[in-house]
Amino acid sequence: MPGHADLAQGCDHEVGCITCGDTAVELCVAGVDREHELADCSDGAGRLETVQTALVGAVAPGDVLLVHAGTAIHKLDGGR
Amino acid sequence: MRFVDEFRDAELGRAVAGEILATVETGRHYKVMEVCGGHTHSIYKYGVDDLLPANVELVHGPGCPVCVIPMGRVDDGIAIAHQDGVTFTCFGDMMRVPGSDGTLLDAKAEGADVRMVYSPLDALRIAKENPDRDVVFFAIGFETTAPSTALTMKRARMERVRNFFCMCNHVTIVPPLRALLESPDLRLDGFIGPGHVSTVVGARPFEFIPADYGKPVVISGFEPLDLLQSVHMIMRQLAEELCEVEVQYSRVVPYEGNLQALKVMAEVFELRPHFEWRGLGFISQSALKLTEAYADLDAEIRYEVPGVRVADPKACQCGEVLKGVIKPWECKVFGTACTPEHAIGTCMVSPEGACAAYYNYGRFAREREVV
Repeated sequence: MPGHADLAQGCDHEVGCITCGDTAVELCVAGVDREHELADCSDGAGRLETVQTALVGAVAPGDVLLVHAGTAIHKLDGGR
Repeated sequence: MRFVDEFRDAELGRAVAGEILATVETGRHYKVMEVCGGHTHSIYKYGVDDLLPANVELVHGPGCPVCVIPMGRVDDGIAIAHQDGVTFTCFGDMMRVPGSDGTLLDAKAEGADVRMVYSPLDALRIAKENPDRDVVFFAIGFETTAPSTALTMKRARMERVRNFFCMCNHVTIVPPLRALLESPDLRLDGFIGPGHVSTVVGARPFEFIPADYGKPVVISGFEPLDLLQSVHMIMRQLAEELCEVEVQYSRVVPYEGNLQALKVMAEVFELRPHFEWRGLGFISQSALKLTEAYADLDAEIRYEVPGVRVADPKACQCGEVLKGVIKPWECKVFGTACTPEHAIGTCMVSPEGACAAYYNYGRFAREREVV
C-alpha cells in the first residue's frame, strides 16, 4: 500500500503513537470499495491508507473520517 | 489545517487561561486527572500546564494502553513469537516493551518472525499472503482500538482465513477509573475524560463518577485549546458546585457513542473475569477476550503460554506514576537508567506514557504562580 511504511512511523516520540494510544487521525476518503466496506483514504500529505468503514455507514469521496488503527470510528460533518 | 489551527491559537489560549485563573478559589489546591495518554502527550508537547495557575495540578492517569500491559503478558507474546511457523504482528510501541527477558524486538533479533503493523487489517493481509504460516496479532488498546480488532476478526471469519489468530489484550477504561477512585492514595477533584474512547463508548459510561463519587468529568479533545477549555469547564463546575459529565469534544463525541462499534465489539469480545494492570494490580472485568464463537482464532487457546505473573523491576515506579501518586521525575531512575532509548518501565516506552512525555519535552518540576 503506498505510504504504509511512512504512516507506521507514527510510533515516534514527536508525533506520538497514533495506533497504540487513544488518538485517532482525520483522513479524507479518496476511493470507496462498497462491497468490502473499505475505503482508500489520504492524509494531508497525500499518503494513502486502506480503512474499514463498516462502523460509520456509507462513505463517499471527500468525506472526512476519524480513523484509528485502520478503522473509521466517526464521520465528521462537512467533509473537506 | 481543518480542526487544528483554530485549536492552537496562542492568544485564545491565554484568554482561556485567564478565565481559569478567574474561576479558581484562592488557596485551594486542585488535582485534575487526565485519563488518556494522548492528552498527557498533548499537555507536555504544547506546554498546556505552563498556562495554568500552580494550584491547578494535572495528574496523569492510566490511559496509555502500552504502559498498563504487565510484563507477564509480554512474556506470553514472546513465547508465541518463538513458536515454529508463527509470524507475530503488533503495533510499533509494543515491540519495545520489556518483558522479564527482553522485548519483542529482541525476539526478532534472535530469529523470531516479529513484524510491526499499523492496523489489524495489515496483520490479516499478511496472513492471507502467507497461508503456510500462523499469523498472530497482539491486540492492545482501549475501546478506541478494540472495534478495529473486532471488525478484523469478523472479516477473517467471513473470508475464511484460517491461519489468523488474535492474542487479545484489549482493556476497558471504566474499571481502572473506579479502582483509582477507590484508592486511598489519591485525592482528585475532577477528570478530563478520554476523547476518542468516548467516540466509541459515548459519555454515559462516565456518569457513575459524578453520581457515585461526586467528581465532575469533562470529555476533551486533544488540541491545546480543547484541554484548556476542559480544565475551565471542570473549574466552573467546582466553583458553581455542579457535578456532571460534560462533553467539550462535541465535534467528535456523540453522547451515546458509536452504537455500531459497540454492537460489533459485543459480538466478538466478552469481559475477562479479571486482568492484571501494571501498577494497579488485578482489576475485575477490566479486559476483553474473544467469545466462544471466535475461540478457534484465539492465540491463547492455540498456543500454550507461560501465563506467569512477573513483578516489575524494583527500581521502576511506573505503578505510582500510572496512579498519579508521583510525578515521573520523582522516579529514582527517570532520565538516568530509564530513558526512551533504554526504557526500564513502560511509561518511558510509549510517547503516550507520562515519563516519555516529560522526558521528550523537558518538562520537570518548575515554579508557577500560586493563586
